[in-house]
Amino acid sequence: MTLSLTKNVICALKIQPVIHRFLYTTPQLLKSQAGRYRKTAKGDLPLTYEMANPPHMIAHRKTWNSWNTSNIDGGLRSSEIAVEDMFVRKFMTGTWHALFVSEIIIKRQHNIIRIAGIIRRSISARKMYFLIGYTEELLSFWLQCPVKLELQTVKDKKDVIFKYV
Amino acid sequence: MFQVTRNINKCLSTTTLKYSSTMPRASEIDTEKDDFKPLNLRQVKGHQFVKRPMRKMEVLTPRTEQMPVDQDWGSVWPGPRSFQPNTVPLPVRQGYVKKGAAVPHKYGNAELMKIPNFLHLTPPVIKRQCEALKKFCTPWPKALDTDEKCQEHFPIEVATSSYCHSSPSIRDPLSRIVTVNIKLSSLKLDKHAKDKFLRLVGERYDENTDIVTITTDRCPTRKQNYDYAMYLVTALYHESWIVEEWEKLKSEADMEYYDWNKSKSKTSIEEMFGKKSNEVPHIEQYSNALNNLMNDGENEYNIAKYGDAVRKLLQLPQLSEISK
Repeated sequence: MTLSLTKNVICALKIQPVIHRFLYTTPQLLKSQAGRYRKTAKGDLPLTYEMANPPHMIAHRKTWNSWNTSNIDGGLRSSEIAVEDMFVRKFMTGTWHALFVSEIIIKRQHNIIRIAGIIRRSISARKMYFLIGYTEELLSFWLQCPVKLELQTVKDKKDVIFKYV
Repeated sequence: MFQVTRNINKCLSTTTLKYSSTMPRASEIDTEKDDFKPLNLRQVKGHQFVKRPMRKMEVLTPRTEQMPVDQDWGSVWPGPRSFQPNTVPLPVRQGYVKKGAAVPHKYGNAELMKIPNFLHLTPPVIKRQCEALKKFCTPWPKALDTDEKCQEHFPIEVATSSYCHSSPSIRDPLSRIVTVNIKLSSLKLDKHAKDKFLRLVGERYDENTDIVTITTDRCPTRKQNYDYAMYLVTALYHESWIVEEWEKLKSEADMEYYDWNKSKSKTSIEEMFGKKSNEVPHIEQYSNALNNLMNDGENEYNIAKYGDAVRKLLQLPQLSEISK
């Protein structure tokens, strides 16, 4: 019973082909918004140098945050490295919670991964040493590479601010 | 609600009085404060929370300020490392600013940390490393002082590529490719063998440089590809020396170029003149002209030369003489 019904339905669908024409005549809004900061009314939004320069200024006024050979011509493991870098960034921001005041810089040379960045001096040196060891140990276990942390500390968030918009 | 708190206070005060009789010190404190602090459930004015002052963390002065001028920089910065402003005693600055503004200084400058630096490869450090490596080097053989001698004694050139990637694996599929270059003149080949060798090699031979290039990439490892290339060279050499039975059946039509000495033209001339071809006058000019015509193709110059040669051979008047 049900089978014959479905057959009928299918036949009906076949008989009446639905023709849609998805044609849009509206002009495209070619506006780039990613990585750009709008001016605020009070002009008190603090920006670091990295934030102050939009993405198209990479290789002109600022450099990449990831340094590796995966995206050059004939490079290997590009997708794996992209995913790993994202994981490292997430892990770092989570582990060093609210401590990083710059982007996380990941540089790879052969099998060594060097993670650099600027952090605030809001925790004691002892805790910082623990976190360095903890991060290096866990990341090198997961990524199966030696991982080195090269951090620079600043006294306050304001030390890395380049301008206010 | 208020009454309740009052009652509690009363109760508490009575108990304290009891204790005060036994403990003189407590009574002293009580007299100072008059009473216990009321239980302050809501934030009411007058109740002050004393904030404990943040313990200040001691920050050492930057290392750059304690450095002696004549220190050994190689041991301060022994290996590749991200820029560290407290260790590098240079007043570097980086960043793009509007005209007239100050460029961001090195403290808290992420741009300086991103870019690769060569602070671990200063000239004295390189010199020291070279000195350390010297004991592993052997002198260049004196007999091989020129490139010609090198080519003579080592006629085979093997080229491979190694790749350095920033990845945990040191494998690269492109590193398996092996290229072998041999100068053809370094092989002992006679006319037939050379001809056969070139036919077997095909496009791999470059006439201008006289070099045969063999590239192997079909095996998975470099060692296998190298062995295969060497096998190919050996096989090519020995194969080119072999003369098969059917190679003797090569006729004029199979020749790759026209050779007058083996051609039918030579036999017919010998028949015509009734003597050996080298005794016929002007035969050299004729044979050359015919060789050129057959090998280089028909063009005005070759045809004119051929015509002249034929007239000379048959002792006919030249074209220029007829026109006169």
